[in-house]
Amino acid sequence: MIEQLPALVFAVPLTTAICMPVAGHVRKSVCRPLALASASAMAVLSVASLWAVVSHGSVRYSFSGWAPPIGIEWLADPVAAVMAAGVSVLGVLCLLYGGAVGDRTHDRHPVPYYTMVLLLLAGLSGAVYAGDLFNIFVFLEVVSLSAYALVAVQGGRALVSAFRYLLMGTLGTAFYLLGVGYFYAATGALNIADLAQQVPGLLGSKAVMAGLIFMLVGLAIKMALMPLHGWLPDAYGDGPTAAVPLLAGLVTKVALLIWVRILFWVMAAGESQGTAGIFMLVSSLGMLASVAGACIALRQRNLKRMFAYGGISHIGLVMIGIGQANQTGLTGAVYYLLNDAVMQCALFVLAGLAVHRYGVRTLDDAGRAAIRSPWVMGTFVVAALGMVGLPPTGGFFGKLRILLAALEAGNPLAAGAVIVTTLVTLGYFARLLERLVRGGSAESEPERAKMPWTLRAAMAALAAAMLALGIWNDPILEALTTATGGLAI
Amino acid sequence: MHEFLDAALHRPNLVAFVVLLLWGLYITVTHHNLVKKLIGLYLVQTSVIFFLVTTGAKQGATVPVILEGAAEFTADAYVNPLPQVLTLTAIVVQIATLGVSLGLVSRIYRRFGSLDEDLILDKLE
Repeated sequence: MIEQLPALVFAVPLTTAICMPVAGHVRKSVCRPLALASASAMAVLSVASLWAVVSHGSVRYSFSGWAPPIGIEWLADPVAAVMAAGVSVLGVLCLLYGGAVGDRTHDRHPVPYYTMVLLLLAGLSGAVYAGDLFNIFVFLEVVSLSAYALVAVQGGRALVSAFRYLLMGTLGTAFYLLGVGYFYAATGALNIADLAQQVPGLLGSKAVMAGLIFMLVGLAIKMALMPLHGWLPDAYGDGPTAAVPLLAGLVTKVALLIWVRILFWVMAAGESQGTAGIFMLVSSLGMLASVAGACIALRQRNLKRMFAYGGISHIGLVMIGIGQANQTGLTGAVYYLLNDAVMQCALFVLAGLAVHRYGVRTLDDAGRAAIRSPWVMGTFVVAALGMVGLPPTGGFFGKLRILLAALEAGNPLAAGAVIVTTLVTLGYFARLLERLVRGGSAESEPERAKMPWTLRAAMAALAAAMLALGIWNDPILEALTTATGGLAI
Repeated sequence: MHEFLDAALHRPNLVAFVVLLLWGLYITVTHHNLVKKLIGLYLVQTSVIFFLVTTGAKQGATVPVILEGAAEFTADAYVNPLPQVLTLTAIVVQIATLGVSLGLVSRIYRRFGSLDEDLILDKLE
């Protein structure tokens, strides 16, 4: 049973998504409970899978019993298991929040909305677990197609943003597939474990290098790495409030995780001559993205766009971490990736709440509104601490690791970029916090309906997750170090 | 330069792939009509699929089905089926993308009454 868990984590939301149109045809009101139940089951299974992987070691799952390289293999190692658990738990929280935030989009079209959310969750878990590059492509495309549709559900401006997202995203997956084709032409293998044996010996080959660059370009579009981030602020700014936290928290992070997989699990040779160039490229792109993203965020007036650029700058931070090609950087980056998923999710949950409950869209609105809810303000303060990188949130420990990795690699420029990003991030969050705290007077606060428990639960869980990741940073980082210790870096 | 040309002319399939890819990218970037952008995108995807197919081509080889009673098995006599299987999957993915994108374009047309990117952006302002 235990070894079947990864496949079940994927199968549950997929089957429900396929059944959803039928169920919705019979009764529309059944869609939301069904989606929540399915996502909760997925969360339970993925947490069980994480527990199994941590206590019994990694699981290599071959579909239908066909052993790789002929069969299709899934790899549930600690990194994949923890990411899958993160995906499904955040999925449940976003569904809880989406149903209660007051965004009417999904009430009008419940069937396509919940089908797309479940397909997105299934695709994300598949992309996390998949053990070969071509399956990763297929799941990446499942994720992207549901993401385009989810953005477009909003209608109006979002249609154009979704179309741009689709153009960029499809070019991204086409480039990724091209890179996979080059790898296949050079090695005759697609399985990550098989490639890991062949690729390090072929680093001089132009085909492998070209394939790697094509994959980097394709995944850079998917993760919104700085020069290729154009689609992200529009898509997240215009998309439906209920769906954006899911997209912001998960889609870009999973693309980044796939890049980490290719770089460390396939290339698996940090110190060899052949890959020094590619690591330097990754580190430089990360420096550009983190500093420029934070500076653009500082200039934004719209809250959602500000958080979107904040997310772009954090993708850059993770890239700096993996670009140092050492153990500290890799574990720090994977740990920070996990934190960033929770932080982005929390920020867009708050931004959506601000729009629908308080009518706050921009910084100036924030100065006028009187937000006195301890749930909203508490979660915001925790998320801000995490984004800036202050203890006791996980953001601090992840950033510290990345900084230490840069110093260890003798790369003061990268360390400087991390510090500058931190200061600029502090700038825009301090400004927002100041507006929120001073804004409005207690007397002018209008009567508001009581906040539903689902919203409070979602926010409390997100804040607790950010704090828990920080407080238990030691065991998590240690587990990640053991999980990645076998890689030759 | 001469060597490069020589190498390129010995691989006409790769030259065709590069031309298709760049042509598709050019159409996607330069045209203002959303449907034409999609045609360019489709060309890019098709070029990648074409590339995958050509990596599996082999001269003088046959369908990878070993007939009963055939003489001894030699790998050289059969085409590698994997690139074609990948291609089939990639084509399905491409069709799904095309379906979603055409659905999106038709929603945009109904909402904005135009397919011209500039006109739509004007209406958004």
